[in-house]
Amino acid sequence: MSQQDSRVRAFVTAFEALRAEVEKVIVGHHDVITHVLTGLFAGGHVLLEGVPGLGKTLLIKTLSEGLELSFSRVQFTPDLMPADIIGTNIIVEDADGRKHFQFQHGPIFAHILLADEINRATPKTQSALLEGMQEGAVTVGGASRPLPAPFFVLATQNPIEMEGTYPLPEAQLDRFLFKLRVRYPAIDELNAIIDRTTQSRPATVSRVLSGPAVLAFRELIREVPIASHVRDFASAIVMGTHPQWEHSPEVSRRFVRYGASPRGAQALVLGGKVRALAEGRYNVSAEDIKAMASPALRHRVILNFEGEAEGVDTDTLIGQVVEDAEATAVQSREPFLR
Amino acid sequence: MEQRVGMDDLLGRIRREIRRRRGEYYGLRGAFWGAVAGFAVLLAKQGVGGTAPWVAGSLVVIGALAGVVYGVARRVGRLDTARVADRAFGLHDRVATTLEWGERADRTSLVDALVADTLARVQALQIKGVVRHVLPREGRFLPLPVVACLVLALMPPIPLPSGRLPDMLAPGEEEREDRTRSTMLEETTRPLAKDAQKRASFEERDFAQRAGGGGATTAGDLSAIFKDTSLANQRPDFNSFLKKGDERLKMLEQMDRLPDLQSDFTNSQYKMVFRKSKSLTGGLRPNQISPQKLRELLEEMERLGRKGGNWGNDAMEGMEALEGGQTDRALEAMQKALDKMRAMDDAERSGKGLRGGRENERGSRGRERGRGDGMGGDEQDFGEGEGLLPGRGRSGSPKGEATQRLRASPYDVGVEGESRRGRKEGFDTNLTGRAGSMASRLQYLGVIGQYRKMMEDAITREQVPRDYHDQIRNYFQALDER
Repeated sequence: MSQQDSRVRAFVTAFEALRAEVEKVIVGHHDVITHVLTGLFAGGHVLLEGVPGLGKTLLIKTLSEGLELSFSRVQFTPDLMPADIIGTNIIVEDADGRKHFQFQHGPIFAHILLADEINRATPKTQSALLEGMQEGAVTVGGASRPLPAPFFVLATQNPIEMEGTYPLPEAQLDRFLFKLRVRYPAIDELNAIIDRTTQSRPATVSRVLSGPAVLAFRELIREVPIASHVRDFASAIVMGTHPQWEHSPEVSRRFVRYGASPRGAQALVLGGKVRALAEGRYNVSAEDIKAMASPALRHRVILNFEGEAEGVDTDTLIGQVVEDAEATAVQSREPFLR
Repeated sequence: MEQRVGMDDLLGRIRREIRRRRGEYYGLRGAFWGAVAGFAVLLAKQGVGGTAPWVAGSLVVIGALAGVVYGVARRVGRLDTARVADRAFGLHDRVATTLEWGERADRTSLVDALVADTLARVQALQIKGVVRHVLPREGRFLPLPVVACLVLALMPPIPLPSGRLPDMLAPGEEEREDRTRSTMLEETTRPLAKDAQKRASFEERDFAQRAGGGGATTAGDLSAIFKDTSLANQRPDFNSFLKKGDERLKMLEQMDRLPDLQSDFTNSQYKMVFRKSKSLTGGLRPNQISPQKLRELLEEMERLGRKGGNWGNDAMEGMEALEGGQTDRALEAMQKALDKMRAMDDAERSGKGLRGGRENERGSRGRERGRGDGMGGDEQDFGEGEGLLPGRGRSGSPKGEATQRLRASPYDVGVEGESRRGRKEGFDTNLTGRAGSMASRLQYLGVIGQYRKMMEDAITREQVPRDYHDQIRNYFQALDER
């Protein structure tokens, strides 16, 4: 067994172990858990969207318990201020009686930050996360302060209770690697939830992964090779969401106002790499890209008025874009080479 | 290294398979087009000779061989082959990625793991046929030209067209045709100017005889030739037509002698104008008729009247009425002018331009009456040029024509009188005409009702100034009170 092979096997083991720990508490939502872990190892942030009571917050808390990482939770409210997240300078008095400013760290200084109901805070407060999510550092009082690594933001939002909320601006949305939709559980999953949550002894979650291990896996992920035609496929999907692109499918031309940004392509490929490695493969395949298309692009595609009026589902739209890109790639080849 | 050989072996096998499939594909296409070419050769078997079947067969074989060679010789890319292998064996793009990344200088340690993994999987593969057969469209239709070639090869040669029209004459007719040909040959050798003169007279005589009634068809009346049914009843003889030509076609050469068939239908001014007026007024109420078109028609009638008719004044009155917005009156005037045109047309047709006797007297009287010159006969109750105001006497300037209604009944009366001097202007009037000495046959109260209705209609429809409406109504109100 080569060294590389052992690293990959370690990753696969860690990935499966972490998933198993989370699934001790969370019933169902297998894909959501997988994508959250994918986001974690890809070095991105994840936005979870779902109606209340589906276990979004519990999923994140459980994940934090499975990792040897610091965790903080911020309940976003309209009166929350940026300083409440980032921290602020306060005047403290030392032993000699001299007063000076001391930076009081905000909850953002944690490895895992749960931004619960992020769309209830004002845009000003929401934007306090921007720098930290992208740069891994925050600037307070002219001084840049790095955030602990790995830094992983998991935000939740409620898609139906929109009164008194501030929808996330596109710039903020684009900083999330994935947007995951937490759906209502099936009846057998609901029964399992009832059994687990009404018993006297709740399940205990073991810590299976440390912070440095996560960082090492992030480095490994980036080494995964991708063939040029697979990369081209990812680019074709992202470009296919742009209505102005000459090869865009009709559905994009008709219903999309703005397509996905280059961050979308990065998310596709990084997610594909994590998926490939999690399945024990050393290269990214077209199937990996297809599997990552919806979570990576659904919050990056902005529908136009007609799309909103027609109630177009972005997942369906992205599915059609992927199909079109695949068909175009196949049909451009000779029949013997398909 | 041994493992790399295994992957190259896999790719080589797939590459050969791709070439084979391509060879089949293009071979079928080449065979099809070769068979089509062979079919053409066999069609011309008469010209090619006995070697035609061999040539056709060779074309099919050459086409197929050329297609196969082309298909096999085409380049097959390594990455394309790798992708085919990935898809065929479900290798998740491992082979393509390995080929692409295995040679790169910046390969990472993970790439080595990938290469090893890929080679291991390739070695474990059960090699099978992975490239599918693709039947070209030409391949589906290949049996058609091949069967056609076989049929043509077995059939006797098809006679080639000689470039001349086929001779479709019956054997008995050939002799007659030869004679005709020689006659025509003689005719064409004559000088052209004389020939034209003689031929015309000959054909006129000939057609007159054919028409069966020499008296009915005058010499030079070519319209009779075109009504010649004896020619139409003849059996169509296309060959004869080609060789000799139809007499009617020859007639067309004499442009100056063709009958003006169109003039038969348009030479009557009345008919022409009548048709126009019908198309203008057909099914429409007066207020629906286009004033512009009505004006154009009246102008045309007026122009025709100036050239030699007595309806010019009527047309002029119609135009004046139209100017005043009185379409009803304009239509009446147009109808009057039309009546006069018809009368003149009838007179010309029946009397062939001869005038005289009672008919002429009536016609001329009618015309004079129509002209409104005040010189009517005994039937007139009073002079038309006297005007409507009584007591003024004969006026030098005619006030216009009295309405037709006044002459419609012998009980109609005229009015004459004198101006009475006094504080207010007044007239002493007397009835004139035949009815002047008769007792009144109409009840005053009955008549006044009719007139009141006419007054209301006139106020509603015609252009009576608004200021006069009350005045007119007050007048009728005063009559009622009286």
